[in-house]
This record gives sequence, C-alpha cells and structure tokens, in this order.
Amino acid sequence: MLDTFVHSFQVKNAYRVNTFIYALKQIPLLGKVFKDALYSNYALKVLGTIVSIIIELLTIFLGKFLYVLIMVFTLLNIFKSDHATTFVHILFFLTWIGAFMNTYMFNPTKDKYYAMFTLRMDAKQYTLSNYYYMMLKVIIGFLPFTCIFGLLSKVPIWICMMIPFFIASSKILINVYFLKKYQKRGIITDENHPVKGIWILVFVFLFMAYGLPYFGIVLPLSISVILMLVIIIASLFHISYLQNFSAYREIYKLILTNDNMNTASYKTSQVSKDNVLKRIDIDTNITSKKHGYAYFNDLFVKRHSNLLLKSAKKISFVILGIIFVMALILYFVPEFSIKVNQVLMVMLPYFVFIMYCINRGQEVAQAMFMNCDHSMLTYGFYREPKVILNLFKERLKSVILINLLPAFVLAMGLVLLLVISGGTTQWVDYPILLFSILAMSIFFSVHHLVLYYLLQPYNANSETKSGTYGIANGLTYLFCYYMLRVRIPIFTFGCLTIIFSILYCLISLFLVYRYAPKTFHIKN
Amino acid sequence: MKLKVEHLSKNFETKEVLKDIHFTFEEGKIYGLLGRNGSGKTTFFNCLNKDIPFESGTFTLIEDESRPLELSDIGYVLSTPNVPEFLTAREFLKFFLDINQNQLKEEKSIDEYFEFMHIELEDRDKLLKDYSYGMKNKMQMLVNMIANPNVLLLDEPLTSLDVVVAEEMKQVLRSIKKNHIIIFSTHIMELALSLCDEIVLLNHGTLTKIDRSHLTDQELKDKILEALTEA
Repeated sequence: MLDTFVHSFQVKNAYRVNTFIYALKQIPLLGKVFKDALYSNYALKVLGTIVSIIIELLTIFLGKFLYVLIMVFTLLNIFKSDHATTFVHILFFLTWIGAFMNTYMFNPTKDKYYAMFTLRMDAKQYTLSNYYYMMLKVIIGFLPFTCIFGLLSKVPIWICMMIPFFIASSKILINVYFLKKYQKRGIITDENHPVKGIWILVFVFLFMAYGLPYFGIVLPLSISVILMLVIIIASLFHISYLQNFSAYREIYKLILTNDNMNTASYKTSQVSKDNVLKRIDIDTNITSKKHGYAYFNDLFVKRHSNLLLKSAKKISFVILGIIFVMALILYFVPEFSIKVNQVLMVMLPYFVFIMYCINRGQEVAQAMFMNCDHSMLTYGFYREPKVILNLFKERLKSVILINLLPAFVLAMGLVLLLVISGGTTQWVDYPILLFSILAMSIFFSVHHLVLYYLLQPYNANSETKSGTYGIANGLTYLFCYYMLRVRIPIFTFGCLTIIFSILYCLISLFLVYRYAPKTFHIKN
Repeated sequence: MKLKVEHLSKNFETKEVLKDIHFTFEEGKIYGLLGRNGSGKTTFFNCLNKDIPFESGTFTLIEDESRPLELSDIGYVLSTPNVPEFLTAREFLKFFLDINQNQLKEEKSIDEYFEFMHIELEDRDKLLKDYSYGMKNKMQMLVNMIANPNVLLLDEPLTSLDVVVAEEMKQVLRSIKKNHIIIFSTHIMELALSLCDEIVLLNHGTLTKIDRSHLTDQELKDKILEALTEA
C-alpha cells in the first residue's frame, strides 16, 4: 500500500511540476522565450517540486486556518453565550457539513482518474492509502488552529486536541455510510453533485451551528465532548469496513466516467463545451427574416436565448424586485431615507462592480466560441477580414442591447430611489446617474467582445491558451473590485465614467478593426 | 492551373518539420499525400491555409498569370468535421450563399446543392447538432466545394466514414477534380492508390512524388513502404 501511495504521490507531483512549467510558458512575451525543453530541465523540476511542496503545505494548513478563524472564531462575539461552549458547538455542527460535502473519497478528481484508469493502479490500495493520508492532513492541519483559537476562546486544551480527531472521525463515518448505501442500494454519491437531501441537511446543520446560538441555545460542553467521543470510538470500529470494502474500482468507474466530472484538462474543456452546447434551443421553428451576417447572428442569439435573453430578463426582474423592496422600505421607514440618500450620492463607483457582475459579455464570448467560432473559424471564408468585421458589428449590437435591459432597469431604479430618498440639490445628477450606468453597461459589453476578438484565447480543443486573456480578465476584475472601496460624488464619477467609456469604446473599436483580422483565429 | 510551393520551411522550436519544400501541383489531379504519423502532413496544410506562421515559403497560383495564393483560393476539409451546431443544414448553406453570392460562379438552389452531396430531404432542416459524424463531414465538404476554390485540401476526410458515405465522397471528388487541384492526405494506402492520380510522400520534411508508371499496386505499395521506413 505504501508503494502505491508513493507512486500516486509522485504522479501528482509530476503533473503539478509540469503545470507550473506550463504556467510559466503562458506568461505573455516571457512565455515565448521558454521552450518545450524546459520540461526536462532539472533545475526547473526542482523548483517546481518546491512549489508543489508549498502547495501541499498550504492545502494542509492555510484553508483550515481560515476556516477556524472566519467561520468560528471571529463570529463568537455575535453570540451572547459562553465563548468556549459556542466555539465547540459551532465546530461540532459545521463538521457535519464538511463530512457530507467534503468526503475526499467521492470527489471525482483528475488524480484519481490518472492513477486508477490511465496508470491502472490498484484502486483499493490507491484509495485507502490516499484516504488515510487525507485524514492525517485533516488532523495535523486542524490541530494547531483548534488549539490556538480554542485556547483564545477558553476551551480546555484536551478538548482542543480532540476536535481534529472528531473531524476526521465524522468524515470516516459518513464515507462508510456512503459506501454502504452503494453496496446495499447501488446508489452512488458524487461529491460535486449533492442530492437534494444533502442540501437540506447542510441547511439544517448551518441553522444548528449559527441559528441555535443566535437564539441562545448551545450544546453544553459536556454533551459536545461526549458526542465527539462517541463519534471517534464509532469511527474506529468502522475503519475495518473501509479496509474490507472491495468495490472501489467499481465506484470510481461510475464517478469518473460521469460526464460532469473533471478528469483532465481536455475533459474539462469538453465539459464546458458540452454545457454550452446544451444551451442551444432545439426548436427549429425559430427562424429569422434577416439576411447574411445579421441572419447568422440573429439565429445565434435566438437559439441561445436561455443564455442571453432569458438570463438578462431574469437579472432585470431581480433588480426590479430589489428596487421595489427598497422603495417600500423608504416609504414606510422614512428615517432610513437620509442614510440611503447619503450612500447613493457617493456610491456610484460601487456599481462598477455590480455592472461587471451582471454583464453577460464573458459568458457570451465563450458561447460564441464553443458553439460557433470553434467550427466556423476552420472555414477560410469565415476568416476573411470583411466577414470578421461584419459579424463583429452584428454581435456588438446584440451584446450591447441584451446587456442594456438590466442596466436600464437598474439605472431607472437608482434614479427613483434617489428621488424617494430625498433627491439631490443638483438636477444634473439624475441624468448623469442614468447615463453613467448605461455607459458602464456598454463599456463592459464592448470590453468583453473586444478582448475576445483581439486575444481569441481558445484552441481547437476549446482550452484557454492565452495567458494575456487571463491576465486582462483578472485585471478587469481587480479594477472593478477596487471600485467597491471608492467613494466619489455622482456628478464627478458619472462624468468621468461616461467620458472614459466613450473613449475606451472608440479606441478598442479602432483596435478591433485594425487587428482582429489577424488575431481572430483558433490558437495553436 | 498550377500551384507552386517554393522554399517552404516550418520548424517547431528546434525540430524541422518542413525542410525547404519545392513542389508543383497541377489542375485536374487528385494528389494523395502519404506520410507517417507526425511527418507534417497537417502542418503542410496549415501552412498553405495560413493557419500557422512559417519560417519561409511562397505559394504561387499559376493560371494565365502568376499570383500569390489567397485564402479564398483554398477549401480546407478537416479530418474532424466542424459545423455550426446551432444552425440547420439549410440555414448554414443560406448564410454561406448570402455572404458569397457575388463570388459564386454557378447559381444553384440550396436543394440542388444538397442533392449533389446526397443529403436526404428529411435531414436538410435538422439542426447540425443532431447530425452524425458522416453527415457533418458531408456538410463540411459541401460548403468547401460551393465556393469552388481552386485548391482543395482534404485532411484524412474519409477516415471514420461508413463505406457508403466514403464511396459517395470519392465519387464527388472524382467529379470535381477537372477544374481543381485536390490534395488529399491519408494514412490508408489502399484509399490513396484507388482514388489519387499522383502519390506524394512527405518524409523527413520533404515532398517526393512517386513514379507509379509500370508498377503493379503491390510493387507501388512496397516502394512507398520502403521510402517511408528509410531512416
């Protein structure tokens, strides 16, 4: 079993190292300097191994540190009950959520696929050795943080030390339950696709973890300790079940061939492609009276109405609902108005992030590639500059119009809220607020489509191959996220947004017309 | 009409895949491009179709006058058929005819094109998403043929087709070869020998025409195998 574990660890390490080298090759400009020979470079392999070890250590400690800190320790002050008892109470119930949702054994990962199917390792030995290693990671990873934060919350040290063993034990018991469910009823559990019952349990445990303490009900420390001890002892008796279970390969064959799993990058891209393909409306009665490029684009939009039109309508309804509720609150609780008015007057930058989140541009570009350009770009006629630019024009019109619907609802809603909450002394704030939201919407529509046309990031297998595209999207997100913290009056920020959006659109459209005929092709 | 390839070189990092290739293809012939796996057949097509950058090389189309080969001169049929799955076959053809109406030399109705490619009436208004592999292949070939390109590149197009569709495709290729230069890459030697007028080997980065005169099929096969297995 140890040999199998060592081999599986070596495989995992090998592809982590290769992923690291691959990531280096994706860096814009720098990546071109790196050759494929890098994969056999010893020094780089060592560096990659160090990175891999750092990642392994992070997976052991970092997540667990953040989990105990954020989900338990920092929330203790909300509750009136004794910190030590509440600390153990919350951890006790949250642990069950983790046991159901993070089983490790029923998580379909590429490691498992490579090891058991590509390399044909012994499924039982592979599963058990890696499972025990995971449980060891759980115990070692939690121990320092349950001790540190537990002691800070005045939990006795022996209970702090017992908690990690309880967490591992609960996972073992739930895994045994899932294995028995398969053995007796043939029902397979896929961690990535929890059934409705599991979701209900999650909400029940969430309520018990946070809701009960909120109402002043907390499990007495002695009861928590007894329950944890029972679980630990019970799990010890059930380890033999894990050892004797013989159908691991059978189970993984079912989980890992499920078409929703991530087995390898190719499969991942295939999954995304399949997901997008499923969005094609199969109703062939949908037709178009248009001609040429407009006809082609019109059919694309109509046959993807679930992804494009319906999604924009749903977002618009949600915004409308929120605005309506806000308006009711302002009407019935007038004292709330001053606060809302103050916020609205300086929080326009906040809506950059909101507009970024509700814009469908990136998803639309992905669908355009997967369901259309992926095949069409293999035809010579489709790559001719006039075809590229004519279709770009049609698409831009559609994307802008689709995104303008929720933007218009939001903009009108904000103007309405501003009026109801007391208004503004400068009448010009109203049109500026309205047009700046619309300008943001147009900006994001143009931005996503232009990025797609200038950096077309996908290869023939629908994998993203452009580091620059990833960086550009990352920077966009960071910029929008940063805007959450900015507070500028409506007039100033609105004017700046409108001017910036107009300039950005003009420059980027010029760039598309100049460069897209050269850049818009399938990546090699 | 002739297609002249001169000084074509393509490297992948340090590996020379195509080495200063010089070759002339002639109208009215189907060229069977044979080579081992990884010999560079698809790379050669990708260079002709300007899908990938290459170190050096020119492609000249010689008719009454000589001119550089353009994208519109080429039809490229891939081994994996790619069609826009959100359209029906009829819609795909309509779009193609709409945007190319000024360039098409002969005007046929959409249904006439379908008949030419043996696409049944009941399949014409089905989404391409629901087409079988062979049917998608037919559509891909049809769209590439309608534009009537001077040069037709076919990258293993008959692999994975059932015998009936493969035979239909062969008939179609024979029927259009008169006014075209057709270059057909395949791994299947029997297919190359039965369909192609000329056999061209891509081996060690160079193109070599095999003289098949006075050779029986078996002798030709032996000659090809000998050439491809040479170190």
